[in-house]
Amino acid sequence: MSSHFREIFRFELKQSFTSPLLWGTGLLFAAMTFGAVTSDSVTIGGGIGNVQRNAPFVILQLLSVMSVVGGVFVTTGFVAGSALRDFERGTHELFFSKPMAKLDYLGGRFAGSLVASVAVMVLCSLGILVGSFMPWLDAERIGPTLAAPYLFALGVLVIPNLLLTGALFFALASASRSWLVTYVGVVVYFVGYFVSALMLGDVEHQKLAALLDPFGAAAIDLATRYWTVAEKNSALPPFSGLLLANRLIWSGVGVAILAASFATFRTSTGASTYGALGRLFRRRKKVAVVEPDPAVEDANARVIPSATRDFSSRRNRSLFLHALRRETLSVLQSIPFLVMLAFGMINMVGSSAVSFERFGTKVYPVTALLLENLQGSFVFLLAIIGTLYAGELIWKERALKVSEVTDALPVPTWVPLSAKLGAQWLVILAFLAVGGLTAMGIQLWRGYTHVEPLLYAKGLSLAAVPFLLAAVLATFLQVVCNQKFVGFLAMILFMISQVVLGSLNFVHRLYRFGEAPRMIYSEMNGYGHFLLGFAWFNIYWAFFSLLLVVGAALLWVRGTETAWRLRLREAKARFRGPWRALAAVGAFGWLASGAWIFWNTNVVNDYIPTDEWEHRQADYEKRFARYKDLPAPRIVAVETSVDIYPAERRVEIAGRYRLKNKTDRPQSAIHLQLNPRVEVRRLSLDPKWRTLFDRKLGYSIYRLPVPLAPGAEMDLAFELSVAARGFVNHGANTSLVYNGTFFNNEDYLPQFGYTVNRQLQDRNQRRKYGLPPVARVAKLEDKNARRNNYIAADADWIDFRATVSTSADQIALAPGYLKREWSEGNRRYFRYEMDRPILNFYSFLSARWAVKKDVWHPDQENVAIEVYYDPAHAYNVDRMIDASKKSLDYFTAAFSPYQHRQVRILEFPGYANFAQSFPNTIPYSEGIGFIADLSDPDDIDYVFYVTAHEVAHQWWGHQVIGGNIQGGTMLSESLAQYSALMVMQKEYGREKMRRFLKYELDRYLVGRGGELIEEMPLARVENQPYIHYAKGSLVFYALQDAIGEDVLNRALARYVAQVAYQEPPYTYTPDLMKILREVTPPAQQVLLHDLFLTITLFDLRATTATWTRRADGKYLVKLTIDAKKMRANGRGVESPLPLDDSIEIGVFATSGATEKDGKKEETVLYLAKHRLNRQKATFELVVDGLPVEAGIDPMNILVDRTSDDNRTKVTKGGT
Amino acid sequence: MLSIRNLSKTYGNGVRALVDVSLEVPAGMFGLLGPNGAGKSSLMRTIATLQEPDSGSVRFDGIDVLRDKQALRQVLGYLPQDFGVYPKLSAEAMLDHFAVLKGLTQGKERRAVVKALLERTNLWAVKDRKLGTFSGGMRQRFGIAQALIGEPKLVIVDEPTAGLDPEERNRFLNLLAEIGEDVVIILSTHIVADVTDLCPRMAILAGGRVQVTGEPRQAIGELSGQIWQKTVTRAELARYEVGYEVLSRRLAAGRTVIHIWSESDPHEGFEGVAPDLEDVYFHALRRAERSAESALAA
Repeated sequence: MSSHFREIFRFELKQSFTSPLLWGTGLLFAAMTFGAVTSDSVTIGGGIGNVQRNAPFVILQLLSVMSVVGGVFVTTGFVAGSALRDFERGTHELFFSKPMAKLDYLGGRFAGSLVASVAVMVLCSLGILVGSFMPWLDAERIGPTLAAPYLFALGVLVIPNLLLTGALFFALASASRSWLVTYVGVVVYFVGYFVSALMLGDVEHQKLAALLDPFGAAAIDLATRYWTVAEKNSALPPFSGLLLANRLIWSGVGVAILAASFATFRTSTGASTYGALGRLFRRRKKVAVVEPDPAVEDANARVIPSATRDFSSRRNRSLFLHALRRETLSVLQSIPFLVMLAFGMINMVGSSAVSFERFGTKVYPVTALLLENLQGSFVFLLAIIGTLYAGELIWKERALKVSEVTDALPVPTWVPLSAKLGAQWLVILAFLAVGGLTAMGIQLWRGYTHVEPLLYAKGLSLAAVPFLLAAVLATFLQVVCNQKFVGFLAMILFMISQVVLGSLNFVHRLYRFGEAPRMIYSEMNGYGHFLLGFAWFNIYWAFFSLLLVVGAALLWVRGTETAWRLRLREAKARFRGPWRALAAVGAFGWLASGAWIFWNTNVVNDYIPTDEWEHRQADYEKRFARYKDLPAPRIVAVETSVDIYPAERRVEIAGRYRLKNKTDRPQSAIHLQLNPRVEVRRLSLDPKWRTLFDRKLGYSIYRLPVPLAPGAEMDLAFELSVAARGFVNHGANTSLVYNGTFFNNEDYLPQFGYTVNRQLQDRNQRRKYGLPPVARVAKLEDKNARRNNYIAADADWIDFRATVSTSADQIALAPGYLKREWSEGNRRYFRYEMDRPILNFYSFLSARWAVKKDVWHPDQENVAIEVYYDPAHAYNVDRMIDASKKSLDYFTAAFSPYQHRQVRILEFPGYANFAQSFPNTIPYSEGIGFIADLSDPDDIDYVFYVTAHEVAHQWWGHQVIGGNIQGGTMLSESLAQYSALMVMQKEYGREKMRRFLKYELDRYLVGRGGELIEEMPLARVENQPYIHYAKGSLVFYALQDAIGEDVLNRALARYVAQVAYQEPPYTYTPDLMKILREVTPPAQQVLLHDLFLTITLFDLRATTATWTRRADGKYLVKLTIDAKKMRANGRGVESPLPLDDSIEIGVFATSGATEKDGKKEETVLYLAKHRLNRQKATFELVVDGLPVEAGIDPMNILVDRTSDDNRTKVTKGGT
Repeated sequence: MLSIRNLSKTYGNGVRALVDVSLEVPAGMFGLLGPNGAGKSSLMRTIATLQEPDSGSVRFDGIDVLRDKQALRQVLGYLPQDFGVYPKLSAEAMLDHFAVLKGLTQGKERRAVVKALLERTNLWAVKDRKLGTFSGGMRQRFGIAQALIGEPKLVIVDEPTAGLDPEERNRFLNLLAEIGEDVVIILSTHIVADVTDLCPRMAILAGGRVQVTGEPRQAIGELSGQIWQKTVTRAELARYEVGYEVLSRRLAAGRTVIHIWSESDPHEGFEGVAPDLEDVYFHALRRAERSAESALAA
């Protein structure tokens, strides 16, 4: 270390440590991590969830995110700043003329500024440390304070990341010697990082992503992906393997960049030192030029002609256009804008390649999807462009020092202001127009020719509005702050404040600048009813923006006067004539539209912020939970008349329930639960009988004067009206829409008794409102719980009849068979009647559909198959019909006859993405299958899968329904998954199933890592989706693999015969387990126990495999394996289990892992189950063909946290 | 024509840039002399509507400048001290842009004016070159060209010759001298020779106050018989600095020639010289310094 280096280093450190930037950002970052640790309303990266607040995993996550987001800012500020400072201040020539090696200069600067950056991140980590000691935190959620996680995070993540970004930005800054280039470089790097992270986010690219992520976050994610709560609370990922490789690669890259930057750096200041990049961007290049100046002549000879001068207002308008053109072109031609535009386009093209997928299957690039993609990958850049160019434009004259000339010109003050603002608007529109054209290009390139330029125009104009308004705000802030960077900072603070306000439940858009209710586009319903509220809020903010424009015009600095006293004096003098009029229009319009919005959102509709909503939920529970298990009359028949008025978003419901006292005691209390949004027109219960009424919570209690005797029945008639009036601030009703109305009985029809679904679920929120931990699903041992099925507590099986009407251009649907269809006036009526009892679970739909009809088994049962779909979404209708038929084939053969004579699939708008099975009726979201592109035969056909799953629910749910008890959803969801898997396997073969199950395995393992309460075994599942769907698939697939598909299906058929259409007590998993035990051979009984009653995990690995050729031409394969079996408890703590299982061993001729061209099927040379009872084993297998791969559990049937080491390559062994 | 009354300005940091400045400026060339920080630019900017005084008034040809800024801007030509350009524009394009902003809406006329101005400032040959490549002198000539668009009645040029080589300086001053006689031209400078060469009237500004105003000849006359000169060694210099009011010291052949001010003959080898404007200027500055010192002492 030379003394020069030390001195430069010391000087740099002193500069940084005395600068407010270091302490300011350090404290800011510390405040952020402090907030994340101490409060749930601040989240950095993901939320903390159920882990301890200072768990090693949390520390790692927080510092990982901060080292990326914060690290980029810090290294830009300090490291790039240190490279640029001397050029910026013009002191570089002073330094370079000193007798000093350039390595000392650069090295000292870099090292000093890097240490300063690290110091900021150390402050940031102190935020976590201090936060974990705060007294208000739940002691239960604070773990021991350990040094190791902090040191690990700093050493493995933070410092290497700062080294990399520091080196990169230092190189960029010292090569370009321009802040602007550095900024653009930072933005491009940053966005590029997020995009590549997005593109590599799929399960199949995890390893690649772990290596390529320059910040190591993906490697950490991969190492901790399946961690349970227990592990997150105590462990650190091993610093080896991919994580170590990643860190070595990227630190190496950092050092290499730095070395290259040092090597190419030149201390001379001539033009030649600037890199090509720098030349491209440089603006104030001073080149001395010898002027070809003619000798000075007698200039008096040349007279300057006089010219007409015009100062009229018409001239001012043309002046405005002149200025507008210049300002706009100056942005459109500027390099940073073009870089960001190009970047956005590349980003969009890149993300469109991966985002149109589900389960690895493509969907058609419909315009709605591309608009969504535009919004996510392209439009957001406008926030950067807007902020940046508001500053650039406002400060252009001053930055170039021409402002004193231009300000003294006879131009009205409003001209430059409005030209600069107008230019920002034109730039925004131009940017979006390019985005739209790119999107259309993508569609055409993918061979999708249904291009809709008008929809783009509409969608992009709507997307533009917030940015047009933000441009006004940014301009206003630049003018008011009168300091470019303060203006930027103010804008950034504004953006942050929007997020913070939201998390503090300040959600009314009347005080959130530029916000309007979120719009969801649906191809069925367009922008629908969202447009009205959106328009009004934007009008409101447009008027407010007009006030901002007036404010900016009054405070606009013309000349060199910046003192507030004088600016205000000047503003007062300017506030005359047109400005007064504009201010009056702005103020009036703003207040008037605000009043109208308030009327709509808070008077006509209920404005309920999130915390108020939670408060009501808590209230509901506190007041009425005591009535939870009250015996009550049950619904036995429903007759309704539902009039849907789509254009008015209104529905009139008249109906009659037949209630029966199924208990053995007289009942006099009726607990009526209604959605508070429902208006009751008439009720056959006398108001005088009412003993309690809570309008807000929709709960009332009636006491019948004559109690209902055991076995007796009574009618309850009602007339209800539900209307979505005006518009709302948030949470717009998406059930009643112009095209695609869809609601079910739980939404609007009367229910009885306390509804557990309405309770607060989140345990932290519950604690906040003083509620006990949420009551869990009843234990299997609970005798009473099976009085109710898990769908409805107020009914068992009901008779159902409905008359549904809608407008003349739509079709209205409800469960049941169409008995009559007629028209009255301009309305269409449909009469549906169900011919057998169903669950108390039915829906009403109305839309402009096309209908495709088919028949299954025309000669025998004659089941009608009908798909009601949006005319633009005909792509996969045939596939759905086919899947329905094949499902009916399989299920009727395997389980029991189909109980209905009809399967109807109904498309509904993509406000929700699910399909749901009602009796003979399957509403199916437009978002999950209608636009799937199934042309590639290698992809997983999830339209087929979802359809099969929903059809299976006609058995598992509508024939067999479990009690409201542990394991209830296994009997519907897991069995529906199994049924769908079997239909799919029959259609597509076993290899496809392996891929599908890989997704299910991942879903299960990730799901259990995020478990908040306790992971249950499948037979005791407590409505946990990752268990009843994902693990359910794995378990039943493994079971049929072990005992045979036929055996399992016969067992299920027996089970259906035993429990279908059962009255209470309802069936539960032990009923099924009993049958399964009977059909499972003794040797496999332990498997049943492992699969259903415990959480059992395997760690199976093929360690080596070699082959030798035998004399008879066959091959001898020698395979060694390593097998472990573990049992986990509900919090993920594992304990080893002795191995005694039948596990498949396989040898393959082609590599099954190369699925890229999945056309070639895997050739199985050997596949058989072996009993394993030792951890290590060696197999010698004789096969006919040349072996390529061999392994244990090669089809990934067992639950294994590292599922990709089950197979290994077979190499040629020695003789 | 231009009448400045009791103009005062104190900046936020306490610096008193202008203290009760009053000036009458007739048509023709008016020199405003003063050292750096004397308040010249503050005064120029105030007249050019770019800055607000705390008190006082500025009137020009019937226009209340502080009230009706737009009216003044219509007759103003202004070349600020630190003047930048749009580096990527050509001289012609930028001048044309300024001409539009100055109200020359008729395209044909405007082009003729731009051409004539470029010719007059000897920039016609380089009219298509980017302004970023201009030398300092070319840039200043471009500056005066833009100031002269639209036949201004009031031309303000703030320190235009600073940093120019002698040839460029001459060229520039010639341009100024060619402007019509019925126009008020204020030339602010710290170079005494600029004023000596050009200005029939002048004022000296120091410490924010007007020290001297009037015709240079008359001011010089007032100092007649009070300026003395002597050649001294460097070692002696300090002694004279204490004993006399030294106006200037100039190196000549390795020795120092000093000018002092004294109402009577100081003897000691001093010889009387005819005063020039530089003596007037430095005398005014010394007086300003003294009064500032006594103000501090009081």
